Amino acid sequence: MILSVDLAGDVPIYQQLRDQIVEAIAEGVLAAGSTLPATRALAADFGINFHTVNKAYDLLRQQGLIRLNRKTGAVVTPTVADPPFPAEWTARARTLLAEAVARGLPADEVLKTCQAILESFDARKPEGTP
Amino acid sequence: MTIAIILSSALLALVLAIALVLPSISSPAVPFGVRVPPQRVGDATVVRQTRLYRWRLLLSGIVTGGVGVVVYGATGETLLLPLSVLVLDGVWYGCFFLANHEIRAAKAAGGWYKDLHQGIAVDTELRTNPPRFPWPWLAPALIIIVATAVIGVISYPSMPDTFAVHYRANGLPNSVAAKSVGSAFSLVFVQIGVTALLAGIAAAIVRSRPDIDPAHPVGSARWYRQYMSLGAKALLGLVAMIDLGMLGSSLLMWTRTVTPWAPLVVALPILTAAVAAVVVLARNNRERQDAEERTGLIHRDDDKNWRGGLFYINREDHALLVPRRFGLGWTLNFGNPRAAMLLAGAAALIGLPVILRFGG
Repeated sequence: MILSVDLAGDVPIYQQLRDQIVEAIAEGVLAAGSTLPATRALAADFGINFHTVNKAYDLLRQQGLIRLNRKTGAVVTPTVADPPFPAEWTARARTLLAEAVARGLPADEVLKTCQAILESFDARKPEGTP
Repeated sequence: MTIAIILSSALLALVLAIALVLPSISSPAVPFGVRVPPQRVGDATVVRQTRLYRWRLLLSGIVTGGVGVVVYGATGETLLLPLSVLVLDGVWYGCFFLANHEIRAAKAAGGWYKDLHQGIAVDTELRTNPPRFPWPWLAPALIIIVATAVIGVISYPSMPDTFAVHYRANGLPNSVAAKSVGSAFSLVFVQIGVTALLAGIAAAIVRSRPDIDPAHPVGSARWYRQYMSLGAKALLGLVAMIDLGMLGSSLLMWTRTVTPWAPLVVALPILTAAVAAVVVLARNNRERQDAEERTGLIHRDDDKNWRGGLFYINREDHALLVPRRFGLGWTLNFGNPRAAMLLAGAAALIGLPVILRFGG
């Protein structure tokens, strides 16, 4: 899996890392059980402070997407959304969709974009994964 | 004498040829060790500096070789021949630095990195599923060492009482040592030391950090995986040929064969392997496929970590080996304390036998 960070971007680096790992899980690039590099190894590859990677991994752990283990490092967990998640996610999606509508994007275009993004996750999923 | 001239001229020609083709086989993203954005790869300054570099180098190479041969003809001092190779190396760096300086100046004046999104890309696969050390490629070197040792043990009783351990340029020995396990098997110890050192470097190469281009990270990561594996194999092939040269040299020593071709027994396999390694890596370097869609990010400008365009010094970077910017292969991170220890170790490995031999 390729991870890249934009050094001049507005999004903090730990957030960029976290977002890309979430996208990789959605796309099936990272299946349940696949491992992520150790914090120090990934930080060294990026040439960034290991606390930054730690922060990204910690966010993912809190959200139940990965399991951190001293021996095996970070492992992607088979996830089933826990009950509070849909409500929280709906609230965030509401803000994101509100931005689109407030900026004047037509509703059907927003819907089409959402559909296309969901389909792109499916399309990139390697064969044999659900 | 003629052998010395032929060897030195061959070495001089080889250095010159490598220096002339290096701009073509180095990554176009870092012409003469200056990081440039993709849209500046074919910039007029870069093209002009490449042409100037080649002309300067060609002229100085011819002058250096000519002066070396003429002075040698007048004085008969054999040391001058390898010295001319060293002089050419110095001139080469001078030509490189001039081009580097001009391109850096153009880059700063033109604001080549203004408004561009600089980034870093990493392939996590290289850590979770790292390329494997090419063990089968170590086998030839090990077999040659064992063969040398076995031949030595079998023929030890029939070996002469003294060995020639150093030769003058004309191929006649000028230093001898009494027969002992230490003197008879001295080159076997060199084989073991060199093989251990180069196998260690090969292992470091397959674990090294690639410099992935964030503009097309997938192809770049694939290319680096191939490059690291090829680089390790080339190094192990080279060490096998060095060991072969030591085997040939040991046989000459054990049988007390005196021949003017003795230096070639060592030089020929090593030169052949070095040329083969350069050709294989250079061919691979040209095959940078670029069909991938660009991501919008470009490689960050990391010139400040490269002193003089060639030496990587970055204290904040834990990496020991990094891909070279100009030319082929890898270079040490001189900002890493382990690099200093490694250099001291290598110096000791090469220096100790030399001191012991001359001291004894």
